[in-house]
Amino acid sequence: MNAHSESIALMHKYLDGDLNKTEEQQLQGHLEGCEDCQAHLRELRRTIALLQSTEHIEAPVNFADKVMNHLPKEKKRMKYKR
Amino acid sequence: MDQIIREKIREVKKGDQAAFSDVVEFYQHKIYQHCYRMLGNAHEAEDMAQEAFIRAYINIDSFDDGRKFSTWLYRIATNLTIDRIRKRKPDYFLDAEIKGTEGLDMYSQLASTDISPSDKVEGIELQRYIHQEISELPPKYRSIIILRYIEEFSLQEISEILDIPLGTVKTRIHRGREALRKRLRHV
Repeated sequence: MNAHSESIALMHKYLDGDLNKTEEQQLQGHLEGCEDCQAHLRELRRTIALLQSTEHIEAPVNFADKVMNHLPKEKKRMKYKR
Repeated sequence: MDQIIREKIREVKKGDQAAFSDVVEFYQHKIYQHCYRMLGNAHEAEDMAQEAFIRAYINIDSFDDGRKFSTWLYRIATNLTIDRIRKRKPDYFLDAEIKGTEGLDMYSQLASTDISPSDKVEGIELQRYIHQEISELPPKYRSIIILRYIEEFSLQEISEILDIPLGTVKTRIHRGREALRKRLRHV
């Protein structure tokens, strides 16, 4: 593994909250002198921000009713109990 | 909420079908969104989300009460969408494009935010672009990226939902992020 791919592997550990102190210093040290890796990390962070900015999508109206109408018939014993 | 769902599931297990409608009401948007992001279109998403709830209902006795219901439900939905993707006919995408107005309607229904009309168009374009790029990831990366960054599950929860080791989740999320970085870097 060269310094860049090692640094990229550390970036991913960082994004998953898995970096220990030594690794953190190692990544920090590499980033200070490497613009490519700085750009790489920036792009990864931006990718995540874009994903998180996606709109929430709602189920169609009547979705729940349609599901309930498609369920197999209720077990008989329950109907007596009510 | 977990407690209420737990109680509802207990009632469903006893045979009370009506209790299941509360479960559907509570999870419908989450499960639909998950299917929509996995499949990339509204039509299949509705089918598969519906199927996920029906399967959950039919198999409710095999659900272990000691576990989280949402994890189990997401697993059913994910497996169904991956099966659907595998079974797609090669000409499927042509059909989907012809019927593509569904997606348009969906986006125009989205809650408006207080940005100018021209910004909003860009926003919709961007949303559509991101959605498209997610849809083109290989399914095994796609499911993890969606669960992590759109549905905000932890890596541990994702490992439980997909029933794969945590280490595998991590490898795949790294690859998924790299694949998307390449696709989205010029946005």
